[in-house]
Amino acid sequence: MTIDYQLTLEYTLQSGWLEPFVRGLQQGIATARRCTSCEKTSYPPIRVCKCNHTGGEWVRLSGEAHIVHRCDGSEGSFALVQFIGADTRTVVRLENMPEPDAIGYLKSPLTKNANDKPVLVLTTDQQDKARR
Amino acid sequence: MAQSKVTVCGAAITAFNRRTDGSSFRDWALAAFEDALTLSSLERRDIDALIVASESDFFSLQLNPASVLATDLGLVGSSTMRVEGGGASGQLAVHTAARFIQSGAYKHVAVVGVDPSASQLSGPTIKSLYSFSFDAWTDGLSGVSATALYALSFQAFMQRIPVSQQHLGLVTQQNRANATFNPRAHLGKIHSQQEIDESTLLATPYRRLHCSPLSDGAASLILSASSHSPSSRKSAPTIAGLGAASDSVHLGARSDAGDFAAKRLAMQRACREADIQPTQINIAEVYDAYAGAQLQAIDALGLSDNIPNDLQSGRFDIHGQCPINLSGGLMGQGAPVGATGVAQTATCALLLEGLYEEKLQPQSLPQFALADTHGGVCTTAAVTLLAGAAA
Repeated sequence: MTIDYQLTLEYTLQSGWLEPFVRGLQQGIATARRCTSCEKTSYPPIRVCKCNHTGGEWVRLSGEAHIVHRCDGSEGSFALVQFIGADTRTVVRLENMPEPDAIGYLKSPLTKNANDKPVLVLTTDQQDKARR
Repeated sequence: MAQSKVTVCGAAITAFNRRTDGSSFRDWALAAFEDALTLSSLERRDIDALIVASESDFFSLQLNPASVLATDLGLVGSSTMRVEGGGASGQLAVHTAARFIQSGAYKHVAVVGVDPSASQLSGPTIKSLYSFSFDAWTDGLSGVSATALYALSFQAFMQRIPVSQQHLGLVTQQNRANATFNPRAHLGKIHSQQEIDESTLLATPYRRLHCSPLSDGAASLILSASSHSPSSRKSAPTIAGLGAASDSVHLGARSDAGDFAAKRLAMQRACREADIQPTQINIAEVYDAYAGAQLQAIDALGLSDNIPNDLQSGRFDIHGQCPINLSGGLMGQGAPVGATGVAQTATCALLLEGLYEEKLQPQSLPQFALADTHGGVCTTAAVTLLAGAAA
């Protein structure tokens, strides 16, 4: 004997302190956080730097990144990448980046996904490169 | 004030599998609790507190499950709470119970870990929920899956430690083979390397057979202040040391994405509390959500100076110097998330006491056992060290 439930949930996540990062993604811009003490730059942004300083400023990266590790398979293609100008690495989805492509660009807002939400996607699409 | 010593008076685990018999998580929780209570020689009225481990309301569709289970288990009036820390939920519940007893607040605490991870929702739905184990505002925006994140972490690990597909295969074969001797296990199987290599590629290097299954099940412990444990349980195993730690939720912010640094720190803290070294561990139940995660855990826990050699020589095999995942681990026994850490500790306690499955029980009673659990890609780590009467 079973009891069937169907639950449909619609969330509206507020971006909070990450607003510059999220707004950047919506515009196809990699907006990182630079610590005003040690000047290390984190992307995605880290609120309290590893040096324990809480002050930071938002900086725009070029959007170009190189792949450090990548995985492919039935779950899709993902990578740990290093954006130029960042001191930390970033997990991204890869799109139109067959091996051995090693350098890509943050996807532009004109090619957002079907759900129309900000996406962390790296691509070699020449249009995205030219737009920068 | 000196800390109270903690005795594992009761320990029990239900079958881990995909239930098709119409039973619910409430039934499994009761079964595990009653078996643990029987072993403890205590009565319901002796239990001061119930601590429930369950990873997600989305799995059970029950907010505040501790209140429901306190009623089902006949523990109304006791202090109740739920503990959650992703995959580490069960082990963190054990820690919470032990710390309550050590503080002198309670004499007897029941821990129940349970999750219906297999039968209530479809596999793809559970997979979608697991993707919220990571920062939904940043990494989550890539749509990355747990398998892909673990795969990226293992690739970083392979740059430091010379392990390969062959070693992933050895771990997979060992855990699933151990599970064939565990009648409660979800996936007791003998795999050929070819079978593993031909299973679906999910995220390089992980294939389907390198992964743990989604399971239903429950486990329970009755922890007591040793000074108040029943006379029949005076020689039961004790908690020797607890350690917990955390790491950056962002894989890319870690200095080494392949290093389970939180586990390393948790183990150091547990060993310091127990006043023992990792080399003194005789048996270990290690968190193996993926075959490579077991290798990363062995490294972080300090159980080997040369993982490839120790794997090849059989050090971690069923009859090795330090058997790992005799139960089959998550890969073989199964993985109802909230129950996992509780089951690992229960397995260790039963092995230390000589009460585990006959074919998996070491010939001589071990002295020290290790239960290791984590949440995220080792973002939240919890380690429990237990001592048997032989210690």
